Amino acid sequence: MTPEQKKFAKGYKFNNFEGQPEAKLIQQDIPSTVTIPLKQGFGDEVPPIVEIGQTVKTGQIIARDDESISNPVHSSINGKVAAIEKIDYMGQETTVIIIEFNGNDSFEPLHKASLRWKDMSADKIDELVYLSGAASSGDSGIPTKFNSSSITPDQVENVIIQGIASEIHNISLEILLKGKILSHFTIGLKILQKLMPKAKFHMVLDESQNRTISKALQLMSPGKNIDVVTVPRKYPLHRDEVLIPLLLGKKIPHGYSSANIGAIVLDIAAVLAVYDAVMEGKPIIEKTIALCGPGLKEHTHVNARIGTSLEDILNSRTYPEKDIRLVENSCLTGKTLSDMSLPISRTFSTIIALTEGTEREFLSFVRPGINKDSFSRVFLSSLFEGLSPRIKKGCDTNLHGEVRPCISCGFCEDVCPAKLIPHLLFHQVQNDVIDKLLINYKIFDCIDCNLCSYVCTSKIPLAKYIKDGKGKLIDEGLTCPEPNFPLKGTQH
Amino acid sequence: MKLVRSIFEKLHGMRALDKIRPVVDAADAGAFGTGEITEGTPHILDCVDIKRYMSLVIVALIPATLVSILFYGFDAIRIIAVSYAVGGAVEVIFAIVRKHDIHEGFLITGLIFPLVLPPTTPSWMVAVGVVFGTMFGKEMFGGTGRNIFNPALVGRLFITIAFPARMTTNWLMPFADADAVTAATPLSVFKTEGTLASVTDLLIGNTAGSMGETCRIVIILGGIFLILTKVSNWRVPVCYIATVSLFALAGNHFLPERIAPPVFQVFAGGLLFGAFFMATDPVTSPFTRPGKYIFGISCGILTVLIRSFSGYVEGVMFSIVIMNAFTPLIDQIVLMFKYRPAKA
Repeated sequence: MTPEQKKFAKGYKFNNFEGQPEAKLIQQDIPSTVTIPLKQGFGDEVPPIVEIGQTVKTGQIIARDDESISNPVHSSINGKVAAIEKIDYMGQETTVIIIEFNGNDSFEPLHKASLRWKDMSADKIDELVYLSGAASSGDSGIPTKFNSSSITPDQVENVIIQGIASEIHNISLEILLKGKILSHFTIGLKILQKLMPKAKFHMVLDESQNRTISKALQLMSPGKNIDVVTVPRKYPLHRDEVLIPLLLGKKIPHGYSSANIGAIVLDIAAVLAVYDAVMEGKPIIEKTIALCGPGLKEHTHVNARIGTSLEDILNSRTYPEKDIRLVENSCLTGKTLSDMSLPISRTFSTIIALTEGTEREFLSFVRPGINKDSFSRVFLSSLFEGLSPRIKKGCDTNLHGEVRPCISCGFCEDVCPAKLIPHLLFHQVQNDVIDKLLINYKIFDCIDCNLCSYVCTSKIPLAKYIKDGKGKLIDEGLTCPEPNFPLKGTQH
Repeated sequence: MKLVRSIFEKLHGMRALDKIRPVVDAADAGAFGTGEITEGTPHILDCVDIKRYMSLVIVALIPATLVSILFYGFDAIRIIAVSYAVGGAVEVIFAIVRKHDIHEGFLITGLIFPLVLPPTTPSWMVAVGVVFGTMFGKEMFGGTGRNIFNPALVGRLFITIAFPARMTTNWLMPFADADAVTAATPLSVFKTEGTLASVTDLLIGNTAGSMGETCRIVIILGGIFLILTKVSNWRVPVCYIATVSLFALAGNHFLPERIAPPVFQVFAGGLLFGAFFMATDPVTSPFTRPGKYIFGISCGILTVLIRSFSGYVEGVMFSIVIMNAFTPLIDQIVLMFKYRPAKA
């Protein structure tokens, strides 16, 4: 059986950037304190159900709310609640619970391990997936009876499991699925199938993951009701808004999530979290994170407890003399981690340390550019790309040029995954022509992937203008027309 | 390198230089890349910039420039030097008055313009053309990115119309003395005598014509280089040349005296230079894909029509300028169809 191959003409393939994580996994020590944000992954922030001074155990639920669309949050260590406070967590005011470690790293599972998950009732599975926090995975959560997503399990028509490494730096699937864990993944899938019996399952991998694909094909032998699809390793194919139209031919209406059209997109880590929850009674207390980027000495994967501070993870691994910028998950869309005291949460899969490109390069524009990345082919790097994977392309935050007027080179249109003409929208917004024409030019189809800003020859922040344009339209009361088909999960 | 850096730091500090700030900035930015960093997302950017993008056009023109110097010697150097000096001065003056950075566009205009001139053009005429082209072709519309017409073509068109005798009859064969008897271009030979120049002569440039457009081999190489590096888009030149071939093929079948055969049409005159280096200017050609096809095809039809049925022997310049004028309209119409509001 060969997997079905889907083509994608737009988007952009990021090749051979420096600072890729090695296929190595290190267990991070338990820190002396953890800071646990009460909003992690999909769902609203949940209120704390513990008090200052209270003793908590590893895996104990410390915050939950069964009424709102949300998922519980757990203590990731044994210890005592030291403080409950509000901090600025990546631009959002978030309540956190600070717990001091008591030195005992034992862990009591959510339930007595039952290796016979097939005997378990659907209700029990439902409950475990919710209580473990696994249901907060993905952009729209995993539906259970506990309001963990905006729809119910019965409303799910399609489940897409994606392992697409289309960012500049990606977590290694080989590490995630190493050894026995591959069988955990398969069981996780079967559990999800039991949870959402009416759904069709799709597994999407990018074409570079040969080994994973062949393993996946062995596992998904016929009759397992899951089809394997490969896609090009092009950014931003891992995004719901791009993947769902490509796979299912359905568009996600602006302002809604994939759940509203009955589709759930999950990554590999989410399936493993489901396995852990049901088979081992283990809530999400730790996360495997890839440490990448030229600002780090050591590029590796770590298993760290939720709430461990960036300082604890990165301290010995950064170059003290380098000026670095820490970014969560994506060089194109990731939030800046402005403070080393910030904790990691469930949403982390990579931490990227970029060097700040304040250095001015002598005779920059006439250099051959063997290690310079470009969508165009104006540097020698495009000749050597296929030949030598050892030549690593640089990634720093330098603009690489002066801002100039748009010359309509069309690169932004060539890459736009939403099939827009970004420079057309930019001109309208720049001239402050905020009217229906923008909606007509499908500005609300923009998924904020920032690829247009990346490729722009004139260094114009196109994506920012488009985002502003959307905001201004909404301020003026002009919004995208509502979809003319019924949506799921909008009766709340 | 540190020494150069410190010189620039000193220059930036000198208040006397405030008036010519853009010149200092441009020299500084030419020597050193920017030190600015991204604010927020995307955190990293593509390494391409306008300087690199435009310098590749210069790279693609280097062979044609060298050939023109080889063919016409000092005259070629003189014309290019005047074009750059005067064109650069206009750009600098506008940058100072408008208080913006010096844009890199004049580096291309300043080279394309002399390459489409006859080798006998007097220096003052080159200066007039480049001043007119830059001012009325670009700066009047608001500078880089806003111009409707290709500035080099506007300059060329202006001096063609202002000094018709000088610009249409004073051609030289390569390696000829400036005092030599003037020669006729292959297109005018066809028009007056009905005979065709050989393809080999056209390819290697053994014909009279504008300085940089006679040796077609290097132009084709330069054009392909630009397409491969994605600096120019293949759609316009391919449509343009294909249309000229097809139209000439059909026309030559019915009117062999008036319409020259396709191979001659493609290799003679300024078609290849125009198609690869002028019609591809992204600012003055449509940005929509269907628009690019329409633009290329229309240029092709107009070129053959003007060459065959007008008083002029060459039609490339006129067709590109005419289609430049239609570019915004073509884009508007394409957008209208592409984004037709859904019927309620």
